[in-house]
Amino acid sequence: MSRLVNKTLPFAFGFVVLAAWELGVRAGEVPEYILPGPIAIVGALSTHAADLAQGWAVTVQVTLIALLLAASTGAAFAFLLSQSRLAEQVLFPYAVILQVTPIVTVAPFVIIWVDNIFVVLLILAWMAAVFPIISNTLFGLKSVDLNLRDMFRLYGATKAQTAFRLLAPSTLPHFLSGLRIAGGLSLIGTVVAEMVAGTSGERSGLASRLLEASYRLELAKALACFVLLGLTGLVIYSTLEWLSRRLLRNWHESAADVSQSGTRI
Amino acid sequence: MSEPLLDLAHVSHTFPSDVRALQPIDLSIAEGSFVSLVGPSGCGKSTLLRIASGLLKPTEGRVQRSFVPRPGDMAFVFQDATLMPWATVARNVSLPLELAGVSASEARERAHTAISRVGLSEFAEAYPRQLSGGMRMRASIARAIVTNPRLLLMDEPFAALDEFTRFKLNDDLLDLWQANRWTVLFVTHSVREAVFLSERIVVMTPRPGAIAADMSVALPFPRTSELRLGHAFADECAKVTLALEHALNLGRSAA
Repeated sequence: MSRLVNKTLPFAFGFVVLAAWELGVRAGEVPEYILPGPIAIVGALSTHAADLAQGWAVTVQVTLIALLLAASTGAAFAFLLSQSRLAEQVLFPYAVILQVTPIVTVAPFVIIWVDNIFVVLLILAWMAAVFPIISNTLFGLKSVDLNLRDMFRLYGATKAQTAFRLLAPSTLPHFLSGLRIAGGLSLIGTVVAEMVAGTSGERSGLASRLLEASYRLELAKALACFVLLGLTGLVIYSTLEWLSRRLLRNWHESAADVSQSGTRI
Repeated sequence: MSEPLLDLAHVSHTFPSDVRALQPIDLSIAEGSFVSLVGPSGCGKSTLLRIASGLLKPTEGRVQRSFVPRPGDMAFVFQDATLMPWATVARNVSLPLELAGVSASEARERAHTAISRVGLSEFAEAYPRQLSGGMRMRASIARAIVTNPRLLLMDEPFAALDEFTRFKLNDDLLDLWQANRWTVLFVTHSVREAVFLSERIVVMTPRPGAIAADMSVALPFPRTSELRLGHAFADECAKVTLALEHALNLGRSAA
């Protein structure tokens, strides 16, 4: 019973807010180019369905490819750094610089240097997403149980055996927690990049279309883009969360299933 | 007397931080014997064990073995069970074999034999976090014996367990040893545990560790848990405790 209430409560809250919004807009006779009500936004979603779907496909494509690139290059880079203290000392500060530099300030240069706008978006989204992967994976690689390391050494494990059978699995939880953060950042990176790059036409993403619609005072359409972007972020996060639980559920505390955790004697 | 399985000659160790862990130590371990190292914490017992296993190079001195160790000839049991949390008991136990390139089916079979020898068959497919501390230690022992090691090194393996579990594991370890006669070098700071298990007890001084006493335990094998209740056992414990107190005083007067 209480579980059902817990699940429905957030929806009920959202519904109340939306209803108040709709009523407020109607009662105050607010024009649609200032603030459209939820019903108008849903209307825009269906009127512009094809248009929005096209933009959504571009944004999702960039976000996911950039996330995959960030995951693979970030993990590889972290592994490289973990192999030598010198490499970490020399290279890690640059990873930090990459992280603290707002991508908006880098975007103009990337746009000048790279012709293909899709590649521009990928680079910028990758830049936004890669740091938590590097940082978390590196932390994981450095927290591998020293006794397990000794054991692998004692049993004459090769470098490859140690990498795949010890380092990879014991780093996985940290990598996945980096990935969950990177998922959101990749979407944010894509959105910012689209807005800065000012793409237009068929290959433009949802954020570009949002900007375009707001210039034309088509606020219902702009807000429809906004809603879609929010939902997309939610879906990406939930998917990564699910993936993480699935991969770790047998052994890691973070994904512990209450019914089988704890001690059995 | 035949050639010892392990011979440490003038082995000493100083850590890079200039902390001297071990004074020069001479120690020979006969094949098939069960030898315990007893001493206060921080006396360099673990360092000595790591040197014996080859995981740590001594600063000075020479380590000689009667065999050229191949992977699996030496096994180490840590104070912590040190299992891979992402793998089942069976996978943990078969790891040493898999690393050595033993075929998957043979590794699985030998792992199951080892698991049944420590009484954990029911839990072969369980993950470490589903097990109690004592069961985890059983799995750790199964992994150590799966390769049928020449030298079994145990670093306070039962220190974190409650007394009942500890006694039970002592009994079972002794049964396994009596049946297989691996050479065991066992570190503990429990006198009762050392006396119950060992043929020979080496008492160490506080850091930097040196050998204060080297005594054999005058209790016949096979030993069973009833032994703990008798006078002979209490007498042996008293002897070792005296030697240990003497060693502590040696350390204090030197400091």
